[in-house]
Amino acid sequence: MSGQGAHVESGIWMRAVMMGGIFLTIGVLLFATLGVFMANDKHHTWEELEDDYHHMEAEYALDSSEEGANISEHEKEELDHLHHEEIAAHLSYLSYRVSGITILLMSIAYATFIGVGGFLNASKPNGDEDHGEDHGDGYGDDHHGSASPIIFAFGIMLFLAGFPDFVIACKAMLSADLTPDFGMLALSMVGLLTIVIAVSNWWFEDLPFNGEGEQIATSYPFEGEHIRKAGLWVFIMSEIMVFATFFSSYLRMRTEWCTDWAIRDGVEACKDVPEGTVVTASDLLRYDFATLLPGAINTFALIISSYTIVLALKTAKNAKWEAPSGFMGKLMPTRKAAVRNYLIATLMLGSLFIVLKLVEWSHLVAEGFDIGTVQGSIFYIATGAHGLHVFIGLLVMLYLVFKADTVGYDEDNAQGIEYFGLYWHFVDLAWVVIFPAFYLY
Amino acid sequence: MGEHVEFMGKDIYFWNFIVLMFFTLFEVGAVFFETVPGTSIVITKMAVWIILIVVGIIKGFGIAAFFMHLKDDPRIYTRTALFPVLFVLLMLWGIGLSNPAGVTDLPSWCTPNWDFAETR
Repeated sequence: MSGQGAHVESGIWMRAVMMGGIFLTIGVLLFATLGVFMANDKHHTWEELEDDYHHMEAEYALDSSEEGANISEHEKEELDHLHHEEIAAHLSYLSYRVSGITILLMSIAYATFIGVGGFLNASKPNGDEDHGEDHGDGYGDDHHGSASPIIFAFGIMLFLAGFPDFVIACKAMLSADLTPDFGMLALSMVGLLTIVIAVSNWWFEDLPFNGEGEQIATSYPFEGEHIRKAGLWVFIMSEIMVFATFFSSYLRMRTEWCTDWAIRDGVEACKDVPEGTVVTASDLLRYDFATLLPGAINTFALIISSYTIVLALKTAKNAKWEAPSGFMGKLMPTRKAAVRNYLIATLMLGSLFIVLKLVEWSHLVAEGFDIGTVQGSIFYIATGAHGLHVFIGLLVMLYLVFKADTVGYDEDNAQGIEYFGLYWHFVDLAWVVIFPAFYLY
Repeated sequence: MGEHVEFMGKDIYFWNFIVLMFFTLFEVGAVFFETVPGTSIVITKMAVWIILIVVGIIKGFGIAAFFMHLKDDPRIYTRTALFPVLFVLLMLWGIGLSNPAGVTDLPSWCTPNWDFAETR
């Protein structure tokens, strides 16, 4: 498609609907396997161990009361051992259940986002039928600005205006204990609808983009640079400030806490404070291989995903690309397939990040570390905000995969991958700070 | 782009990726082990602090300079990226480290007399 206007039939968008169907099918299958079949099996094991534990506890308590003495050391050890096994079985059950549910919810979100966007665009008339000679995007030869980002921002404003009541309404519909404000719920829903329409229109405008008409800044300080790229860097600038607020507030609170680490390190002000007074997420995570593993895997997953998106961009920009030999050659027979597959790999790694994050949260909550404490609040808000950024990135990546699979990316129109890559690398960069601060320190 | 610079047949992105993976492993290990493996040398809290900060800076540089192409892109992008860092540092110092009720024995320049208004 390089060097000439890309013609995109509206019907091609039905492939996005099909993509949504594939995501939903994969999600349901994985949910059935992990969240139902395997989780139920683990639940049985957990229940059995729990019964054994309570049975043994009652037995020992009876024995000791008959003898009038406390339980022996050996019995205590056995009880402890069984208790640990029961906790491990509970966490194992949670891992499967939560990962299954997360995968299902994510696949529903993916299917809805790409499916609805695709359906809306498939319903539109073909660009050529509508606008005569143009790129199929309805703009003719002159590419100019799009209204979609402004409509998108307006949708977000409406959604957030009703968001607090949206949450209450959702809770009310589940428990019926609360009285929901349906007016605000409706406002949120209108916001969501506006977002979907804006995003699908944005895609409709971008899909035929073949590199021609990229807007160039004409004034200082970005003179000669692509406006979209400059805009993205300004956006990243604001994102840096968002994460700085989380980090500085955490640091302020953290310097006030007499954590076990501070106590063991002999900090003067903490000498009279007993250990366990202040428990941070890192206290629960860093000392055991199994508890540290999800966070560590997530760090590696994000770094690998940063690399795969770089590979996608590099492949798209390489006009002299040749298929590799062997197994990789079968996976990536053409440049188009290679770009798409690198993007799919990035999508899968990002999805893995979200799944492991929620599994890890479920373990922390099961251990009593919830959002009700100051330590829990800052941990869940900061890591949750980061997770939200990852998830939004994944939704954008769905479109990149769709475009890579249909129109394709090449050396002329690879800006989409490059600019999204900047955002994705920033998310990785934020994790470089969050991981040591909240998980290791 | 940096793929033109090659070392041992691999481009700069590959080596950046390897360095990032290595340092991640290193920081996890530094926290996970209480002593240096194979020795009785204790890894102190201060050592962990230094390791985490230094490794964070190296990883941050690797991502920003190579993956985000700041090394090869026009300087205006680097300046744009560094502009908020000034405010970030101010926030870390003015909010993060300056807690009057802090217990970490930080030096006095880190905890200016924020309760001045109250004491006056």
